[in-house]
Amino acid sequence: MDLRLPSKVLEHILSFVDSNEDRNSVSLVCKSWFETERRTRKRVIVRNCYAVTPEAVARRFPEMRSLTLKGKPHFADYNLVPDGWGGYAWPWIEAMAEKCPSLEELRLKRMVVTDECLEKIAASFKDFKVLVLTSCEGFSTDGLAAIAVACSNLRELELRECIVEDLGGDWLSYFPETLTSLVSLDFSCLDSEVKLSDLERLVSRSPNLKSLKLNRAVSLDALGSLLRLAPQLVELGTGSFSDKLDQEAVSKLSQAFSEMKELKSLSGLWDVLPEYIPLLYSVCPGLTSLNLSYATVQMPDLLELLTRCSNLQKLWVMDLIEDKGLEVVASSCKELRELRVFPSGAEGLNDTNVAMTEQGLVSVSEGCPNLESVLYFCVQFTNAAMVTIARNRPNLKCFRLCVMEPFAPDHKTQKPLDEGFKAIVERCKDLQRLSVSGLLTDKAFEYIGTHGKKLRMLSIAFAGDSDLMLHHLLSGCESLNKLEIRDCPFGDTALVANAAKLETMRSLWMSSCCVSFGACKLLSQKMPKLNVEVIDEHPLETRPDSSPVERIYIYRTLAGPRLDMPEFVWTIQKNPEIGVSHLAIK
Amino acid sequence: MEICNSYSSSSVDSTKHSASESSVNLSLSLTFPSTSPQRATKQDWPPIKPRLIDTLKGRRRLLQRDYDTCLFVKVYMEGVPIGRKLDLSTFSGYESLLENLSHMFNTSIICGNHRDRKHHVLTYQDTDGDWMMVGDIPWEMFLETVRRLKITKPERC
Repeated sequence: MDLRLPSKVLEHILSFVDSNEDRNSVSLVCKSWFETERRTRKRVIVRNCYAVTPEAVARRFPEMRSLTLKGKPHFADYNLVPDGWGGYAWPWIEAMAEKCPSLEELRLKRMVVTDECLEKIAASFKDFKVLVLTSCEGFSTDGLAAIAVACSNLRELELRECIVEDLGGDWLSYFPETLTSLVSLDFSCLDSEVKLSDLERLVSRSPNLKSLKLNRAVSLDALGSLLRLAPQLVELGTGSFSDKLDQEAVSKLSQAFSEMKELKSLSGLWDVLPEYIPLLYSVCPGLTSLNLSYATVQMPDLLELLTRCSNLQKLWVMDLIEDKGLEVVASSCKELRELRVFPSGAEGLNDTNVAMTEQGLVSVSEGCPNLESVLYFCVQFTNAAMVTIARNRPNLKCFRLCVMEPFAPDHKTQKPLDEGFKAIVERCKDLQRLSVSGLLTDKAFEYIGTHGKKLRMLSIAFAGDSDLMLHHLLSGCESLNKLEIRDCPFGDTALVANAAKLETMRSLWMSSCCVSFGACKLLSQKMPKLNVEVIDEHPLETRPDSSPVERIYIYRTLAGPRLDMPEFVWTIQKNPEIGVSHLAIK
Repeated sequence: MEICNSYSSSSVDSTKHSASESSVNLSLSLTFPSTSPQRATKQDWPPIKPRLIDTLKGRRRLLQRDYDTCLFVKVYMEGVPIGRKLDLSTFSGYESLLENLSHMFNTSIICGNHRDRKHHVLTYQDTDGDWMMVGDIPWEMFLETVRRLKITKPERC
């Protein structure tokens, strides 16, 4: 008796299985389940564009409608990856254009996207709906015009923190009058002014528009007319908030804001003047997300704003909020889940004219029971504060502490911050992401290795004493998926000893550490399923094995060595004849 | 605080961990590069995205001034109907202003005193409403008095 589930039935069942993690499990059951699953998967996510070839992905998932790709390593956000390293979107777009022309959605992060890519998208995918580019570069506003003019069913166009060659604001004028399907538009990272009348017309013919993020060049005056055309917005990113308006314009703008009953997310607010803060009061109670990282709001204006945001779940703010402000957040924003505090004095590390210390974060940890994600920049911290925070908030999932002074000890006891981070990893059993900073010894990493069992991503800078540090992490953190390290004094021994671990991780980045060229070669030889990339902008003429490498990026891959490596990236495949026989191996 | 500048890599004791790999003694002695805070250059430390850093740079100057002083001015190029808005506080002086404008309008722009046929000339309207050549007063003073900018066509014979 054939007990196999008919594939049509299985297909129907699978149509309810949304999560890719579950689908991955389904595809491991047996060959027929693998086949049915792959033919029905619509949403494909590839978190390292070099882990697999575009052709392989297109072949496996012919019914793909949505593709998400990530390219450069995370540290590329902070200028640690040289230009030209890679992460090109073109091979993917080319492959999909040929094999999956029904593709509707493309989400790219940290990739190089050219105007040719955008033109190819516009020309190849007839029903293209969604383009979200995060931290991408390589294209100009001309490419945007190509998308605007051709994609007649476009729903989302979002440029999040991209570096775009700005040739002017006309690209917006290319959206045809027939385009009425827009749901989300984000051009906040562009500099040029767009034609206001074109923007107004676009907004007024987009009844489904829910998210609009303007660039800085859109004036406050223009904002008023746009809001009147789109009171249904759920997400708003304003432009510049500092023009001088007359009384009539101000009251009109105030009226426009009060009409926005659906608004949940607010950002932009560039250079907002204190006298305009009250304009926002009417929308505050409805806000779940507030991004003030570009706003010059200081105390006490900030307080007036925050006391009204009782439903806030996500707050991104400058350290201008100070400890006092965070106390107010602790008492007013009881639903807070995510807090990010950025430094206003980033230029000068010793700029402590802001009264913000570890106490601010302690207050929030006390007052906000749902707090699970923290990114906190500050000049100094204490172990006691971290112990308190851990005790208050064992539900933390993401804890990123950036003490900006490298090697800064506990400023009260002058001891390393080992005990503080120990408390965090011990108490917060579900911690998935951790960034450490300040003065740390190997002990801190022993604690992390021992307790950080759910830790998936770890970022380290200017820390540790020796190879033991890396060894603790690689041998202890079972769930470790991404590890990025800069300026730490170790490399070879722990790396080679834990080579097998690297195949269980997505990637490892180490820059300005003590990894030798010889160790890189050895690792490459031992682990053929890894790409071991040595990224050296200033390599020596002859590279002795003992010479330290500038950067090393190791990732598991099914695709083998990539074909688009620039001059300054070395892998063993480039020089296979260099052996490792002269190294002593027991 | 003493910072040790050179380390030799230690060999990992094979009895301490259950590594399936044989212990490797690479016997390498590596000097750890200088770990003083100077290594943390402005560009890659602290770990903040470049766009935010740029905004911070502009903002610091803004914060240091009176809130009543608005540093945004409109810039028009002769013959182009649409102007651009510029935050003058993000520039360090005339040179960076000219460089930026030249890039923005894709043409070479110079200050008044070196006028010739090839280059556009930058002029400004001051608080009195008069149009003046850019570059004739110190930068700080210019910021106090400038209200609008205009890029005029190259002079014809």
